[in-house]
Amino acid sequence: MKLETGEKIPTWELPITPTLVVSTALATRDFQDVHHDRDRAQAAGSKDIFMNILTSTALCERYVTDWAGTDVQIKGVSIRLGAPAYPYDTLSFTGEVTDVSDGIATIAVTGSVSLGAHVTGTVRVAA
Amino acid sequence: MSGPLVDDAVHEKIMAAAEEIKAWGEAAERDARDLVNQPTINNWLEAMGLESERFYQGEAPPSMAQVWTMYGQGGKHPDRDPLHAMMNVLTDAGFHGVLGTNSEQTYDRYLRVGEQVRVTTALDSVVGPKSTGMGVGYFVTSRSTWYVGEERVASMLFRVLKFIPKGGTA
Repeated sequence: MKLETGEKIPTWELPITPTLVVSTALATRDFQDVHHDRDRAQAAGSKDIFMNILTSTALCERYVTDWAGTDVQIKGVSIRLGAPAYPYDTLSFTGEVTDVSDGIATIAVTGSVSLGAHVTGTVRVAA
Repeated sequence: MSGPLVDDAVHEKIMAAAEEIKAWGEAAERDARDLVNQPTINNWLEAMGLESERFYQGEAPPSMAQVWTMYGQGGKHPDRDPLHAMMNVLTDAGFHGVLGTNSEQTYDRYLRVGEQVRVTTALDSVVGPKSTGMGVGYFVTSRSTWYVGEERVASMLFRVLKFIPKGGTA
């Protein structure tokens, strides 16, 4: 697949369920209680359990490879965290190729929830 | 209201500790509990809903790099873990809140089933005090580097905000 600057990735909407938050936290070997125990998350000041950072990173990888194919070589994923991703919300990804140079395509990705941007960042792919 | 966000003596103590911990360089080296393995990859693929033949043929998804060296349940941090040492300095100074703000991962190559991964951690920078939406705090940036043998395979800059929740004082 040849990536070109300005190409947009179709929007991907992922419903956030408690099962998604818990199963992804455990699959990334992250046992912090705020990712699987609502009582503890609320005692810590959160509305509910929330998605962990390794999963936000992984979903950026998935968003790009669902579109570009997993044959592409991912060189890096850089993200800034914003609003928490709570169950019963929807994580909505948008993305665009912003640069192709020196053999690397940079894809800007945003994952938004109802509270605003949950994750903004870039995925770098060998082009 | 004027004056410094943080008492000068407290700030100087924090920055002195940061310099000392930065000087440790790449520290807290430890091996992943398990070799890169298919069942752990399968669990991750299922949870993320990522479908790819590629990850059933000997390669691991790149963003799993950090997964292999997670502490797991009840894992103990080494005494000289730069990130945790710096977090403890800030917690002791009253900055109880913690919020992950940035993760910048770079993959030199994809890992392969059967490889033994090890990781080191270094303190990269401590910046502050800053007035943020969460409260006054310091941004702590660490760098993790993953190796197979002597070969670097991935690295990560990870930034957290350690802050005094609004309404509190240091």
